[in-house]
Amino acid sequence: MSDWLPKSAAGRRWLGLAPSYFVIGIFMLIPMVIMGVFSFLEPNPYGGVKPIGSLAAYIKIAFEYDLEDKLVFNPGYLNIIFRSFQLSFGATLLCLIFGFPVAYYITLQPENRRNFYIYLVTIPFWTNLLIRTFAWIIILGRGGVIEAPLLATGIIDDSLRMMYSDGAIAIGLTYSYLPLMVLPIYASLEKLDFRLLDAASDLYANRFEIMTKVVIPLSKPGIIAGCILVFIPCLGAFIAPNLLGGGKKLMLGSLVQFQFASARNWPFGGALSMLLLSVVIITLIFYARAAKNRAAMEGSA
Amino acid sequence: MTTAVDIRGVTKIYSPDSNQAVKALDNVSLTINDNEFFTLLGPSGCGKTTLLRLIAGFEQVSGGEIMLFDEEIENLEPNRRPVNTVFQHYALFPHMTVANNVAFGLERLKKPKPEIKATVERVLTLVKMKELGDRRPNQLSGGQQQRVALARALAPSPKVLLLDEPLSALDLKLRQAMREELKQLQRETGITFVFVTHDQEEALAMSDRIAVMSNGEIQQIGKPTDIYEHPVNRFVADFIGDTNFLDGEIVDLNDDLLTCRIGAQSLFETENSGHHKVGDQVTLFLRPEKIMLSVLDQENDSGNRPGKVKNLVYLGNQAAYTVDMGDGIELTAQARPREDGELPFAIGDPIAVSFSARALKVLAQ
Amino acid sequence: MSDQIQKPSTRKGKKMLPVGHYRGLSSWTIAFFIFLYLPIIVLIVYSFNANRMVMNWGGFGIDWYLKAFNNSDIQKAVWNSLIVATVATVFATAIATIGALVLARGGNFRGKTVSLGLITLPLMVPEIVTAVAVLIFFSAIGMNLGLGNVIIAHITFCIPFAFMPIRARLEGMDTTLEQAGRDLYASQWETFRFVTMPLLMPGIVAGAMLAFVISMDDFIITLMVGGAGSTTLPVYIYSMIRRGLTPEINAVSTMLLLASIAIVTAYWILSRKTQTSTEH
Repeated sequence: MSDWLPKSAAGRRWLGLAPSYFVIGIFMLIPMVIMGVFSFLEPNPYGGVKPIGSLAAYIKIAFEYDLEDKLVFNPGYLNIIFRSFQLSFGATLLCLIFGFPVAYYITLQPENRRNFYIYLVTIPFWTNLLIRTFAWIIILGRGGVIEAPLLATGIIDDSLRMMYSDGAIAIGLTYSYLPLMVLPIYASLEKLDFRLLDAASDLYANRFEIMTKVVIPLSKPGIIAGCILVFIPCLGAFIAPNLLGGGKKLMLGSLVQFQFASARNWPFGGALSMLLLSVVIITLIFYARAAKNRAAMEGSA
Repeated sequence: MTTAVDIRGVTKIYSPDSNQAVKALDNVSLTINDNEFFTLLGPSGCGKTTLLRLIAGFEQVSGGEIMLFDEEIENLEPNRRPVNTVFQHYALFPHMTVANNVAFGLERLKKPKPEIKATVERVLTLVKMKELGDRRPNQLSGGQQQRVALARALAPSPKVLLLDEPLSALDLKLRQAMREELKQLQRETGITFVFVTHDQEEALAMSDRIAVMSNGEIQQIGKPTDIYEHPVNRFVADFIGDTNFLDGEIVDLNDDLLTCRIGAQSLFETENSGHHKVGDQVTLFLRPEKIMLSVLDQENDSGNRPGKVKNLVYLGNQAAYTVDMGDGIELTAQARPREDGELPFAIGDPIAVSFSARALKVLAQ
Repeated sequence: MSDQIQKPSTRKGKKMLPVGHYRGLSSWTIAFFIFLYLPIIVLIVYSFNANRMVMNWGGFGIDWYLKAFNNSDIQKAVWNSLIVATVATVFATAIATIGALVLARGGNFRGKTVSLGLITLPLMVPEIVTAVAVLIFFSAIGMNLGLGNVIIAHITFCIPFAFMPIRARLEGMDTTLEQAGRDLYASQWETFRFVTMPLLMPGIVAGAMLAFVISMDDFIITLMVGGAGSTTLPVYIYSMIRRGLTPEINAVSTMLLLASIAIVTAYWILSRKTQTSTEH
């Protein structure tokens, strides 16, 4: 039946992995390499690139040519990048503050109810992000769910202008990735031995100290994982800034998309993507290091 | 007597190429007779389970040969070896009924359908599980799962049945009941059982012969009484049962008796096996149940040694006493409670200790 | 004396909470779930708005559903979405299954960590970067298969989603079951066929469901990679939003939303049922 399979274990192994390598290698890894190469070429005004090497795309991030063709510092794009980081940090922090107590609360529940809560947390994650973000327009928008009753009762007489602001984007981002914060924290809290809390209490720790000295330190792996899982997609977010920021309050992700859809500056879009990718890689290396240190610590203990 | 399994100089090294190479078995040789209840006994990590897995074929030997009824099997795939295993946590297929689990091996052997049906019914009756053939494993208690695992391994009529700590997941009462049943099953079927355990009581209760293992080597092979009464070294004496060890030096000997000095000046006499000479450093051992404790009677103390109760642990049917003999010597001994349930001696009581020279034995170093 | 000892626990007239419990936790959790579900509920409620403007409530009506059903562009988009998701799911699940079998059962080998990293790569790279890179790639090699381009991109990012539940299932599976199969005279193939495969099936189904949902919901990559004829439902919804807000968007969105929720619920029930059957 299995005569056609390679005889050696190694041969079978690589035959089994070949489709994964083929698909992800060709349609993901190689495209990213090409993107990297393109970011060092000159743009073609109608999209695409000219095969001429150039650092222009990277220079463009912080400088522009003035009327006399001299390079001058232009903080426009840097501001967008900075804002992206700011909003991503903000959303991550909000997710943590909002999500941690919930993850903890779920851990305290009996097992079958815990599973149901986790199901409730994951449901929005599996539903369409575009649609869920669109719903926020109805909630925050002019005359929307929040404003309508306030206008009707005369508490306010003009729109609150909640939409198309950094605040709206922050809410959208927090909302988009909140499950990604709760799930890893829950995963590490679930492994927490609750007798340790009794032990701390027995040794005169008050509730606040139990939380800060026992629970939070022991759920640190989950907190770090959650922060990374939220931060990375926030930085590359496209839907929230586009729909809730009205396309005017750009973020890194929407800026990249803009270079390909409208501005037709592929090398610049490539350069911005490389920037995004390097942040991801640095974050993941930091995470892998931390995980390794922790493993080493636990191994020696 | 036919030899069922012949292990010849078997060595097993895990991850031999890496710097974390572990020698699990070191040149082990032993023979297991047909129709025998043979036990591999030792602490965890001693190599007993590795040896069993090598016989089953889940692992490859690093060196040596394994013969099964004079046929070399160490390079056969597990499905080509006529041996079956009862796994520690049963390993029942959760997606099949009890009957389908039991039929699995017979189906693979391409037995005719009616024969499979009859065999399944027979072995399920044998383990008293006939009624539960349609159940799923997760609907059974631990003891029932154990029986199904046994039935499944017995169904293909293996030449040798391998049992990997099959009772360890059961609670105490059930474990004791299953001991007797297993032993009876082995007698009824006449199949050679190779039983792995770390529980010395289990091994003594069931086995025809026991191999005591430690650090990938066999320490001693023998009948349960041999292992208990004549351990060949300190490890075996210590691992099986409770023991008092006394380290000392031979100071005198005649044809019958050795005299040993323990501590500064305490002299103990033991049988002379003829292997020792004056001046040898030796270890003596003495089982607690061979020691008699009585009320100290100063006038009539022939053969009795004085001591003092230092500690006692009440165990219900008996009490374990730690007796200070002076000269840095302590002995553990046992005494039954009196008929009214009270203990015969209390902590601090002076006491008389006696044992025969035959009970005290010299351990080979 | 004894009164004094008991006093602290009844101080302030409140009952003492067990260790590890905190006041306000449950209210916080309720607020959390309101935040999480409010948009979904609002979306569904407003899909029954009879008014032409989303924001202005004009009474209950299902006109927008009828309109959406009869919209041939929506029909086309739904059809595209289903084709893409089905084909991508089949390929991604097949590729992920053999990959997971190798990584979970192939022992330790050189390149294992790298392979794991490669398979989960699409999870780590921001979607927009993947989208851009694939767009550049297709244009650089001049590949233009219409919906085919979209399908290939979807297979790529669906692989890790199909992979994870399958691998989790394999790693949670007791390997002594496979040894028991071998011990009971099953060849390697028979062990795979009669033991591994039936036990792995729930994992494969779960993986396929997740891949399907992820593909159905994908928006950014399809938006960038897809051409004019390969509009999927989310991309069509995006274009509707840009044209102006009507309850028709809500109606279509509600249907897509409920489809996803139905699939994920099925997955959840399935995984709970099989979880209990593999415990030993």
